[in-house]
Amino acid sequence: MSYPENTAAAQGLALCHECHRLDPVERHHCSRCGAELHLRHPDCLQRTMALLITAVILYIPANVLPIMNTVQLGSGEPSTILGGVVLLIQLDSYPIAAVIFIASVMVPVAKLFAMFYLVWSAHRRDPGSPMQCTKIYRLTELVGKWSMVDVFVVAILVALIQLVGLLSILPGPAALAFAGVVVSTMLAAHGFDTRLIWDRTREKHD
Amino acid sequence: MAATAKVGEIAPRCRAIRPPVLKGRNSGERSWESLSVTEISNQTHTACEECDLLVALPVIQEGERAECPRCGHLLTARPRQGFERALSFALAGCVFLVISLSFPFLAFSSSGLENVMTLPEASLAIYRQHHAGLAAIIFVAIIALPIGLLAAIIVLTIPLVVGRRASWLPQVGKLMFKLNDWAMVEVFVIGAIVSLVKIAHLATVVLGLSFWSYIAFAICLTAALSGLDRMQVWQAIEANTA
Repeated sequence: MSYPENTAAAQGLALCHECHRLDPVERHHCSRCGAELHLRHPDCLQRTMALLITAVILYIPANVLPIMNTVQLGSGEPSTILGGVVLLIQLDSYPIAAVIFIASVMVPVAKLFAMFYLVWSAHRRDPGSPMQCTKIYRLTELVGKWSMVDVFVVAILVALIQLVGLLSILPGPAALAFAGVVVSTMLAAHGFDTRLIWDRTREKHD
Repeated sequence: MAATAKVGEIAPRCRAIRPPVLKGRNSGERSWESLSVTEISNQTHTACEECDLLVALPVIQEGERAECPRCGHLLTARPRQGFERALSFALAGCVFLVISLSFPFLAFSSSGLENVMTLPEASLAIYRQHHAGLAAIIFVAIIALPIGLLAAIIVLTIPLVVGRRASWLPQVGKLMFKLNDWAMVEVFVIGAIVSLVKIAHLATVVLGLSFWSYIAFAICLTAALSGLDRMQVWQAIEANTA
């Protein structure tokens, strides 16, 4: 395939993804740090899609199963992610309800949609504005790890609230599934190569 | 030094390579005429990581940053005394990390019963409930990776600041930038604050020394990392090991 004229790839030069040195790709290994050189991440779209599909599958148990189980005086009360948000609203803790809702519900869903859109953009013949796609990508990378907040909340509550017989909190299976969603979307965003989108546009967007 | 071989011969007809957008205190005064490029060298050129535009890179001065002229991605920045800053904040971070691992993080009391948790227990308690996988993820994200990251920053910056040669710098450099992607110190801080509000109505919650110290640790880590730019670090490593 041919690359746009003003790119490094068109000159046969690859930017080392470890140390950001420019080297001819036929060297195969970076002359400074020894990492493998590629003009574009190999099999980028397939890998990203595989990780995104993993995230979608994990997202189902993450929301259907309980994320934690509150045992009060012997009787257990499991709660899901959304159930926790509803509970916080009932307790009038609106700011915290907003943090949990944004971090655990909105961001993962928005991230999945954004990544699917980016893969589709890199795949189709004439993507929209590459600048817009790049901005979406930057946002996706930026918010990546923040979805872990809910998992950490569960971890802290489980460690802290252990008054045996009176009140204790146990982790639910959704916590691991949700951590899996966060990790696989982070991997997907990390492995995605935005240069594929720029490759599809010729000089008109310059 | 074979490593800096000119690669000009493979770019015979590369015209109008653009300079980056320079930002910084004095950069407005620096004028830039379009380079008449005869050959491309990895000392004077780079490519944008996000859009692969070939950019002619000038020597970046302290306090300056260079952005891609097409997509605006940060190509490189040279913070003032970046390595010194990184080293000093990392050393301060070490002190805060030791404190936050040895004192109580939060204490919770209700109806005369009390429970105190330490930082490692955020992962240990999950492990005791037979969720080993989840416990491992949490341990790695909030304790193991931050410790590794801090150690890598210190081991990397000491030879660069002191000016001693160290042959293992490339390995440490690679490791540091990898760990940086996955450490979740600041996310855990927000998680702790959210849990506080969640249980404040249930009982009395006391913030331990470890809690404050972990916040200080998060700030130190962020400040240390802000002094380390990938391209500048690797140029320094190259100069050190050459």
